[in-house]
Amino acid sequence: MPNPVVERRRGEAWTASALIGPATIFIAVCLLAPLAFLFRYSLNDFIAAKKMMVEAVTVANYIKFFTDPYYTAILWTTVRIAVLVTAVCLVLAFPLAYVVARTQSRFKNLLIISIVLPLFVGNSVRAAGWMVVFGSKGFVNSSLIGIGAISTPLEIMFTERAVIIGIIAVNLPFMVLSLQSVIEGIDRAVEEAAFSLGASPITMFRRVLWPLALPGIIAGTILCFILAMNAYATPFLLGGPLFKMMSPLIYNEFTQKTNWPFGGAIAFILMTVTLGLTVAANLILTRRYAR
Amino acid sequence: MSNRISLHRRTLLGGTAALALGAPSIARAQEKKVIVGTWGGDYSRLLTKNVASQMKGWEVIHSEEQADPRKAKMLAEQKLRRGTSDVQGLSANDMFDMNEQGLAEQIDYSKMPNAKNLIPSMKYKYGIGHIYSGKVVLYNPDMMAAPTGFADTLDPKHGNKLGIIDIQRQYNMVAAALASGGTVSDFEPGKERLIACRKAGARIYPSNEAFAQALKSGEIACGIMWKARAVQWQNAGIKVETVAPKEGVPMYVSGFVMPKNAPNKEGGYAWLDAMMSESAQENFAIDMGYNPTVTNAKVAPDLQKRIGFTDDEKKRLVDLDYGYMGKNDVAFQDWWNKSFKAS
Repeated sequence: MPNPVVERRRGEAWTASALIGPATIFIAVCLLAPLAFLFRYSLNDFIAAKKMMVEAVTVANYIKFFTDPYYTAILWTTVRIAVLVTAVCLVLAFPLAYVVARTQSRFKNLLIISIVLPLFVGNSVRAAGWMVVFGSKGFVNSSLIGIGAISTPLEIMFTERAVIIGIIAVNLPFMVLSLQSVIEGIDRAVEEAAFSLGASPITMFRRVLWPLALPGIIAGTILCFILAMNAYATPFLLGGPLFKMMSPLIYNEFTQKTNWPFGGAIAFILMTVTLGLTVAANLILTRRYAR
Repeated sequence: MSNRISLHRRTLLGGTAALALGAPSIARAQEKKVIVGTWGGDYSRLLTKNVASQMKGWEVIHSEEQADPRKAKMLAEQKLRRGTSDVQGLSANDMFDMNEQGLAEQIDYSKMPNAKNLIPSMKYKYGIGHIYSGKVVLYNPDMMAAPTGFADTLDPKHGNKLGIIDIQRQYNMVAAALASGGTVSDFEPGKERLIACRKAGARIYPSNEAFAQALKSGEIACGIMWKARAVQWQNAGIKVETVAPKEGVPMYVSGFVMPKNAPNKEGGYAWLDAMMSESAQENFAIDMGYNPTVTNAKVAPDLQKRIGFTDDEKKRLVDLDYGYMGKNDVAFQDWWNKSFKAS
């Protein structure tokens, strides 16, 4: 005789699979399958003279990347800038997130929207705006020359500095939102308790706020770091032809050289380094603060 | 909840999931649609104005992007039965590349009445030349005297008043080669010259437009560019003059190919025919300053003087060795990125 409880459980399993089915298949087809193809391509060979990919199984592309200082320098630049951007975003975002989280003003939602507002504009349009600001006759230089602070224009455009500022502008809202949502969950009473026990604001921050906000800090820094490692439009438009980061390099290999094997290898190296550093940082932080 | 209702809900959800998975493919009726892959900006605007306007009864859609991503897409679509473009605008060496990679349809000129007016050298087996110009030397007459050619321009003496455009890598290498005793089939002699210019402070710009801005602001005084662009910049009020180099005038040809898997070849041929029409060619010469590739296009004498080449200069027109450039392109790109730009 059929067991109604087991029957119902089997039915629920069918329902569950029908619910998650479409999303899983979408991800499998649109993300995992192309990644698998790309990995297979990264093991292929490339005939430069004919710009053609040939079937092979070789790790030559990966070896080429790590044995050429030109490419390892680009990887190092990317990691360095990503870490710097993440650190600056954290320092800038925390006070802002704290204020937004704690404010009782009726304009709170407006504040949140205004922080997110830069993201409404596409990366390319934003970069075009920075070009106007940073150009030799742009806003920054004209103002500084106007007040007599400098006599010749500063070279900001097409430099690493411009790229860093541009990426910070893109990533800051993500960091602010991650921190703000976590700080809102920390009861104000906990902070007031610390003050009432004689803690200075800095001590309160160090011993109460920071550890409690750590999950949000970790989430925000991971997000910011991943975005910075994979940045394309900002380094491409603001860095100019002499500045190279990993994503523009991958794009060039695929489009200008049609070297899919090498481009695929660089893409996987970028993905692995990003994931590796993210996981390592996560482990270190959680282990250090685990009580 | 009773068993009957649960069953009902499960079936409904399962059915919805199945529907999401297996949406029926929509039968596509034959459409009068032509998809043209082209650079954006002025080029696309002028194609719409001068060519698409002649295609009565057809819907002409422009897929606008730089050449490299469009080439990458053609390569990626190679195995598909139907691609996503009917016609692609490319420079002559890119057209050669596409043919080498087996992507370009061999053109059937009998399908296009206007093809009889095409200049013979613009009749490629794998594509059609649309416009041509020549690489000349560009300079600001307020800042320096007229150079005589490439050797005089790509010279470290200009320091940081020389501008080099990154996307014109191949033409800069040709010019440096011609200036240093090399040929269109041998770029090696020019490499040292380019590195010397870079060490002396030559500025590198990401695009033609950025170069124009720098010329306008006086940040640079000279460089190399096709004559047609210089004419456009003169029209825009930028103080610039051109000189046809004594070492030779490398030709720049821009044309169109038809991908082998173009979805609407009939539309593609109709568009190509419209592109070769007298009015389209004449208006392109007026609007963009490039020379027409059909013999029946009439160009006004004063315009001809500005965009065209004298008989003497025509003798110096040099066609590029697309085979050599294609074979060595990857190596040259590596040299350009690793050695030249890093200097």
